[in-house]
Amino acid sequence: MSEIDALKDRLESLQAEALAAFAGAEDLNGLQGLRVHYLGKKGALTEVLKGVGKLAPADRPVIGKFVNQTKQALAVALDAVEAELAVKAKAARIEAERIDVTLSGRKSGSGALHPVQNGLDELTAIFSQMGFAVAEGPEIEDEFHNFDALNIPAEHPARAMHDTFFLKDLQGDDGQPMLLRTHTSPVQIRAMKRFLAESGEPPLAVVAPGRVYRCDYDVTHSPMFHQVEVFKVDRDVSLAHLKGVLQHFLSAYFEKEVAIRLRPHYFPFTEPSAEVDIGCVFCAGKGCRICKGSGWIEVLGSGMIHPNVLKSVGIDSEEFSGFAFGLGVERMVMLKKGIPDLRLFFENDVRFLSRMGVAK
Amino acid sequence: MKIPFSWLKKHVALTTTPNQIADDLVRLGHEVEGVETPRAAVKGVRVGLIESKIPHPDADKLSLLKVNIGEAEPLGIVCGAANMAEGDRVPVATIGASLPNGLKIKKGKIRGEVSFGMCCSESELGLAEDAAGLLILPADAPVGAEVGDYLELEEAVFDLSITPNRGDCMNVRGIARDLAADAGLPLADIDKSMIETNGDIAAPAVSVTAEQDCPVYMARSIQGITVADSPAWMQAALMMAGMRPINGIVDVLSYIMLDLGQPMHAFDADRLAGNISIRSARDGEDFAALDGRELKLNAGDLVVSDADSVIALGGIMGSEASGVTGATTNIVLESAFFRPARVSETRRIYAMVSEASMRFERGVDPAMVAIAMQRATAMMTELFGGSAGEITLCGDADTINSGRSVRCQVSRIATRLGVDIPVAADAVLTRMGFGVNRHEDRLDVAIPSFRHDVSIPEDISEEYARIIGFDAIPAVLPPLSTIRPDQQDRSIHDAVAGGFLQVVSYAFISSDEQRLFVAADGLDIALQNPISDAMSMMRRSPWPGLLSVARHNLNRQQSGVALVEQGRTYVQTVAGHDETNTMAWLMTGQTQQDQWHCAARQADFFDLKGALETWLSLRGLTGRFIADDAIQGLQAGQSAKILIGRTEAGRIGRVDGDIAAAFDIDAPVFVAEINLDKLPAGKQAKFVPLPEFPAVERDLVFLFDRNTSSDAILNAVKSGAGKLLTDARIFDLYAGKGVPEGKISLGIRFTLQDAKRTLTQEDSDAASSAIIAAMDKRFGASLRG
Ligand SMILES: [Zn+2]
Repeated sequence: MSEIDALKDRLESLQAEALAAFAGAEDLNGLQGLRVHYLGKKGALTEVLKGVGKLAPADRPVIGKFVNQTKQALAVALDAVEAELAVKAKAARIEAERIDVTLSGRKSGSGALHPVQNGLDELTAIFSQMGFAVAEGPEIEDEFHNFDALNIPAEHPARAMHDTFFLKDLQGDDGQPMLLRTHTSPVQIRAMKRFLAESGEPPLAVVAPGRVYRCDYDVTHSPMFHQVEVFKVDRDVSLAHLKGVLQHFLSAYFEKEVAIRLRPHYFPFTEPSAEVDIGCVFCAGKGCRICKGSGWIEVLGSGMIHPNVLKSVGIDSEEFSGFAFGLGVERMVMLKKGIPDLRLFFENDVRFLSRMGVAK
Repeated sequence: MKIPFSWLKKHVALTTTPNQIADDLVRLGHEVEGVETPRAAVKGVRVGLIESKIPHPDADKLSLLKVNIGEAEPLGIVCGAANMAEGDRVPVATIGASLPNGLKIKKGKIRGEVSFGMCCSESELGLAEDAAGLLILPADAPVGAEVGDYLELEEAVFDLSITPNRGDCMNVRGIARDLAADAGLPLADIDKSMIETNGDIAAPAVSVTAEQDCPVYMARSIQGITVADSPAWMQAALMMAGMRPINGIVDVLSYIMLDLGQPMHAFDADRLAGNISIRSARDGEDFAALDGRELKLNAGDLVVSDADSVIALGGIMGSEASGVTGATTNIVLESAFFRPARVSETRRIYAMVSEASMRFERGVDPAMVAIAMQRATAMMTELFGGSAGEITLCGDADTINSGRSVRCQVSRIATRLGVDIPVAADAVLTRMGFGVNRHEDRLDVAIPSFRHDVSIPEDISEEYARIIGFDAIPAVLPPLSTIRPDQQDRSIHDAVAGGFLQVVSYAFISSDEQRLFVAADGLDIALQNPISDAMSMMRRSPWPGLLSVARHNLNRQQSGVALVEQGRTYVQTVAGHDETNTMAWLMTGQTQQDQWHCAARQADFFDLKGALETWLSLRGLTGRFIADDAIQGLQAGQSAKILIGRTEAGRIGRVDGDIAAAFDIDAPVFVAEINLDKLPAGKQAKFVPLPEFPAVERDLVFLFDRNTSSDAILNAVKSGAGKLLTDARIFDLYAGKGVPEGKISLGIRFTLQDAKRTLTQEDSDAASSAIIAAMDKRFGASLRG
């Protein structure tokens, strides 16, 4: 066998051996080792090439070409195997990194608004969108703002029905006794005075949320609860406008078209006055336990602001008229959410709070 | 007040059903709290004519009847009664009828004879307790008619809540007037017939010195009465109206008060001494009231007295000693008009409410004072004998509430109601007792004496609204007012977003709870009439309320709570008082359960402080927490005041262990409060260009004395590190093995940056050296090897 043939033989067997080795490579690391072993500077191929120096010069180009072909073949095979192993490696990594996506997420404690707060937010938002400005007033009031200015003079029977908490240690102007406001209506007086001081004359439209107090504590009464007072004064404000606002707001709050019914009633600070019922939200007006079979549920008191009330803040009742209504927030929330017991609001059981605190 | 249907029908011939009447009442403004039906309608019992009567072949005591009930064939009925004859008309319960006693009528065989119904007695119809035989109906009873309709057996009682302005409706006639006007029916006349008086009986001697409070007073003597029970029909009517029969005299007065609205009073004439005077009480005068209470009166109270003592608190209650008893034979009867405001005030002062005071304080009809007196005299003498003397009259009823009228414009009423005012409504108003004179747009309305509540055009517009009906008024959205909408206050929303549950607790606490966090300084605000001792003071701190809520929940298997409350606290001030808007937090126990990724942990000071820092930063504010060992109720060494700028705006700390234990809480409890009124407006975030060159971070670890404040350390870093420093914070804190006793190892991570260039090794080395020097100089702290 000539020198050149022997060399070709060695290259061929080297190639066969290398291809077999590549195919058997288990991972990219092993393959890298094989690359160095066969194609590295000190690798097997280089070792074989050391024999080229012994060849006749005429044979050298021939064997050179053969060597390049072998090198080429090994490189192609290496790349192919490498690509294949890379795919396998990625698949293995993905499998290794698999997680249980049904495990709970990492949360910080979940807070919630008190359901009464949710109710207040929803109610004030509705009126804000209708162009009513938000106003607040003091909870400790004098008799003038809580009663007299609202056309409830001292001897008035309605005054006795208010179950008023009086405060020791405090005295108002002219030595008036101080009390905890029994309704948010005094904000009418305070807000009207303030708005008039700012802008001189109506129109004014106000929503006044807040806490109120009655000396009455049983299953259906809490000594502290929340009201929202709404009123509007302008030229030619009518009972029809009151009905329009009530219809709009009650439907917005209950998120469906509710039927409303106004019944003539009596409040000292409005004339005419009306109590407002909505079609029972539990039985759609068919009659159930909650509406006592009537199909109607009383939700608030309303009316046209009494001229004496306008007079008490210096608004000319010949020129201007207004409507006002006040509603109990707890009651509205109970109706909307189906909460059966007023006491739940003030017990503050966190199980109740976290369940009811969600927005819907 | 309760009004029986049958009583209403004595004043107006109503033709509709009780349920329809209830709806009408609601529409007219009289709230119906319920409709009771003490006797339901009897259905299926018809008027029958006995055509033949023969003895039962197998039973001596039974008869076989053929009864015509208006059908083609007469009914065969077996009957055990004996009092009926051919030609009598009797109630016949037909097959299928059910009787008030629960009996259901079925076809039956009695001793071999078929019976197609049952003839009824009074007791079987629920009209009497027992009865000897069949109820024989009048000879003109229409054969075949429903006996229930014919005898008007159905009874309903309306439970009405009369609004305080409608004193005129606190009686059957007042309600009947509204219903009659509404239905277009006439109101029956009141019997005003005069009674014969006995000239031998002297009219009582009466003097009125308090004319202001008692403008009309009438009295008369009735002598020779034999007090007996009132008749059954009256007792039944009173009981249905919710009043207990007492004796004949008192019952007649109650009946007339309920019927016509005028409260009257009867004194036992033999228990009176001398003349009657209506006057102001003397200060401290004694009054032993009918309800057993003994009062010391105030000067100004209106009293009726005889020569010796007070015999009545005017319009409210008589005295025990002068009252009518079963043994009374001679009475003095009083009918008067007492001024509403006086009755209201006195009633309030003595917390003494009576049926009379409720009517007088709402205003009775002055025109009814005399009529009621006549009616009462007539009924009493008719029922209980005796004869009446002449009336003593002081004052003139015609001067009270008379001649009042209101002038208004129809167009203005229409504008304010948002609906046209039809002329037809005037007729209804007229039937309600008003005098109506409409001339084009001008409307003159004369007000009847019984309508104390009507005096201005708005009152007239209310009457028209009732007449037209609120349902007929359209719903119209008013034009928008142009106002600038307010920014919503996000305080509580941001607090809740930090993982806290919002609670709402009462504004009142006990005085013991008040003292937990606030010293006794005389500035508390207490309630005059608290619900209970536990709710006797306006809170000055929100923490007792939060502690109560925490206890409630920890007692119910909660391992921890994170609570927040927004509300007010209340305190006396030099100027009067102050209501402070406050935000308060409480954290205790394990606020997070064990989780797959982390174990449960007791809340600590820094959990709460972090929540507050986040909450403040959301309002553009930074708080400084200054250790303060002197906050009442908080544990020294774990409490701090919170400064915003120079303002002390809040407090935070761990609740004293004894206080927590008093609320049954073992775990450390952390609380905080922020005075929302003292919070300055936060800085609006302004745009700053993002840095173009990279920042450099370096860590240095020092050994400090254990009690060194990290706040002071970071301040020293900030002032000592040079202009390139943008941030510095504590990234590691360690004491224990490897750290000398009394020392603490603190790791400080600081950040350097320059807006104009990339920083070099020299820059960070210089800053490090400066910080090392500053720590050494300021705290004697050395770098940890
Ligand atoms: Zn219902």
